[in-house]
Amino acid sequence: MRTDMRYVKKGLGSILSGLVLIGIIIASIFPFLYMFLMSFKSTINAHDLDFSLESSSLMQYQKIFALDDFGRYIFNSVFVAVAGVILTVGVCSLAGYAFAKMDFKGNDKIFLFLIMTMLVPTEVIVIPLFLITKGLGWLNTYRALILPLPTAFGVFIMRQAILDVPEDLVDAARIDGCGDLRIFFKVILPLIRSSVLALSIFTFVGAWNNFLWPLVASTKTEMKTLPLALSMMKTQFNTDVGLTMACAVINFLPPFVFYVFVQGRFKEGMTLSGMK
Amino acid sequence: MMDMRKKHPGAAKVAPYCYIAPITLILVTFVIGSVIGSIILSFTKYNIMTEPIFQGSKNYVKLMSDIKFIKALKNTLGLVVLIVPLQTVLGVVISVFLVANRHRFLGKLANSVVFIPVICAPAVAGVVWRELLNGKIEIVEKFFGLFGIQPSMLLGNARTALITVGMVAIWKWMGYYVVIYTSGLLAIPDTYYEAAKVDGAGKVRCFLSITVPLLRPTIILGIFLSMASSLQCFDLIFNLTGGGPNNASTTLVVYAYSKCFGSGDAGYAMAISNILFVVILAVALLQRDMMKRKTSEVS
Repeated sequence: MRTDMRYVKKGLGSILSGLVLIGIIIASIFPFLYMFLMSFKSTINAHDLDFSLESSSLMQYQKIFALDDFGRYIFNSVFVAVAGVILTVGVCSLAGYAFAKMDFKGNDKIFLFLIMTMLVPTEVIVIPLFLITKGLGWLNTYRALILPLPTAFGVFIMRQAILDVPEDLVDAARIDGCGDLRIFFKVILPLIRSSVLALSIFTFVGAWNNFLWPLVASTKTEMKTLPLALSMMKTQFNTDVGLTMACAVINFLPPFVFYVFVQGRFKEGMTLSGMK
Repeated sequence: MMDMRKKHPGAAKVAPYCYIAPITLILVTFVIGSVIGSIILSFTKYNIMTEPIFQGSKNYVKLMSDIKFIKALKNTLGLVVLIVPLQTVLGVVISVFLVANRHRFLGKLANSVVFIPVICAPAVAGVVWRELLNGKIEIVEKFFGLFGIQPSMLLGNARTALITVGMVAIWKWMGYYVVIYTSGLLAIPDTYYEAAKVDGAGKVRCFLSITVPLLRPTIILGIFLSMASSLQCFDLIFNLTGGGPNNASTTLVVYAYSKCFGSGDAGYAMAISNILFVVILAVALLQRDMMKRKTSEVS
């Protein structure tokens, strides 16, 4: 009898916690569900959310791709994010290599100096950054959007990963006659693949979702990125919810697809910055 | 190799500097350059079009009597006070709950989807939530109605705009804190809980006497991360309210942005940014201090 009660209690608890879990799931995805459903609606000014897919159509997507600059926005976003990843991984791993495996005067001091820049958030320096970029004549260029992307945080992560590479391997390669750069490409890089992947994801999503800096640095339409286009659309096509949501979906998809495929790595990459 | 070194004694010494040069150049130009530029230009009258004119601390003096600045400062700190405690408590509670249910299908699913808002652009979150809260969606109306709230009034009302921004921010970053707290929770050995169970401790007792104290360093980290991110919040506000209505959700970042790119008063805008920078630095120093004390206490 007593065990029966315990089972009932356990069962009830399990149902209750199941309901809470469902609550968490709905709260997390409802806005995105709404976004997807609305993007497949054909009628303008339709706010009614229904879950039937009967009247769904790709009309909003056809409309959005027919907009003059939309292809350009997508290209800009992709180009800036991909170039940003390549640049960041390149300069950060190279510097991380020097800091981790090379003996030179000022090693620790320069590293610490670079790390100090992590204290400065973009939000605080966006105006002087704009003035510097303007002074260089770089406003409305890809350079302006890409070059400020690498951070000291990337150097930190790469240095950390390269420190874990056994000294013996580096020495062995050196005895075999490899130079510094060959050691870097043939020995170090293959061994820190997973950290490179984590940094790449972190950088890609950061660049893709970046808002304030492109807002300031790209004043011309043809240099705008997707998040800016979405933000503009909100005011331009305020009545056309479906179109705005189609734009939001396109904005949302690349990070989401990444997340679905490499979930663990993704969480690691995104939360890296906090785990210092 | 040895021979090479002998031939070019300088080569080995120059190489490391070449490797660190690109990132150093980038950071010195954009970050250090900006910080220095911001400090210098905040003492000038500068509208971007004409040359800056040095005017001493006039911008900073002006800040003290600028009602909009005081309001933006209040809003910024208000957002921190609003977000940090809720984010932390909810984050820990949800993490404990998800860890307890981590072997169930629904638990795994919840653990995965709670991270989706984190990966989406703040601009997407802002635009979608603005749509959701426009009062035209029946199911949302009904849900908020349960709590006696009219969603269409939330963003347009000066009394609730900032609170609503804070709630969306908590929703957006919850998954991030769940990952951090979950890794902290999983590091607590099961044996502690088993021993407590043997001693007859209940779930609440276990939570208060084992989980909270052992998770403390992680919670402190979470609190500081949450503080830093709420102080810098811009994208969400820009896309949810644009700082309105009547500056009710204008924070320091938003105010500096509008002063520079709206009114063209760049010198003044940088003075505003520098005040925020000082606040952020103070928080960072406090964090370093607390983390250090934490480790020295342990050892």
